[in-house]
Amino acid sequence: MKFETIYKTYWQKVFRLCMGYVNDSDTAKDLAQETFIKVWKQLPKFRNESSIGTWIFRIASNTCLRQIEKESKMPKSEFPKEIKEEILETTIEKDVKFLYQCISELQEVERIIISLELEDIDQKEIAEIVGLSRGNVRVKIHRIKEKLTQKFKINGN
Amino acid sequence: MGTNIDLKNIWTQQKIETPKIEILYAKANKLKSRRLLKLIVVNITLLLTAISIGFIWYYYQPELVTTKMGIVCTILAMIIFVLSYNTQFSLLSNTKTEPNSKEYLTQLIQLKEKQTFQQTTMLSIYFLMLSLGIGLYYFEYVSKMTLTWGIVTCVTTALWFAINWFYFRPRAIKKQNTKLNKLLIEFEKLNAQITA
Repeated sequence: MKFETIYKTYWQKVFRLCMGYVNDSDTAKDLAQETFIKVWKQLPKFRNESSIGTWIFRIASNTCLRQIEKESKMPKSEFPKEIKEEILETTIEKDVKFLYQCISELQEVERIIISLELEDIDQKEIAEIVGLSRGNVRVKIHRIKEKLTQKFKINGN
Repeated sequence: MGTNIDLKNIWTQQKIETPKIEILYAKANKLKSRRLLKLIVVNITLLLTAISIGFIWYYYQPELVTTKMGIVCTILAMIIFVLSYNTQFSLLSNTKTEPNSKEYLTQLIQLKEKQTFQQTTMLSIYFLMLSLGIGLYYFEYVSKMTLTWGIVTCVTTALWFAINWFYFRPRAIKKQNTKLNKLLIEFEKLNAQITA
């Protein structure tokens, strides 16, 4: 598969996964970029041991997990976010924001699992990406979804 | 489950413009050249130092073997430092295919442990070799001095070594290890989430 095609097909998906992890679009963009740089470099070595999607999501998940290393090197600057948020939002935009907010409050590994699930990735594949058993993934997804639904109910969405 | 569909629907609404691929290529190249530059700078600096030490040997023609041994020790200390500095980049990069998150975290933890060990021992070896080298190097010149000056030189040098060994070395090690330990704890926390 050509890198350009991979990039076009997977950019939004990888970006959303990173966004679910950090809930900050600039950081998520950086993480997505880092993922694709790795994909670009490693593509010649890719031997179809897994599907290309599983492989890309593995790189993306691992890049996200390694994010703390950067955080500890460079403390996050606290920008006043209110400026942006004053713009009137539609309900769907509010929902989107709330969902990503809720996900970012989960444990790190849970964030990755639910992001992959919402991206419509097969649970078997999620298990392969994260390194958990299929049953374990299923249980975790169920619990996380319950948590999220609850939060949405409380919030009145 | 209706809620599932809703969540998925909301999830995919999050969109951002796909950046041009050229931007990615440019960034990748910049990263590569920056890493290379850092590597070159460290290597060249130490190489130049080693050359200038070698020049002393050539220019002053020391008579005693201890002086020559001292010079060799000092240069060796630098070579050891550069070697360990250079290998730290390749510790993780030679894995075949991308591991899953569980394996990846285990690898990261191992890497950090290895780095902690390497840095602690390497720094100690570096300081030891450097002190030994300078000590040996001084021997010839001190033996030619008068007794008083000889004692003064020996005491000052010994003091300087002691400061290095008991103050600067532990400080440097502690500084590096605090950073590494913090990361180790974080990675272990993540690993616990998967293994739990």
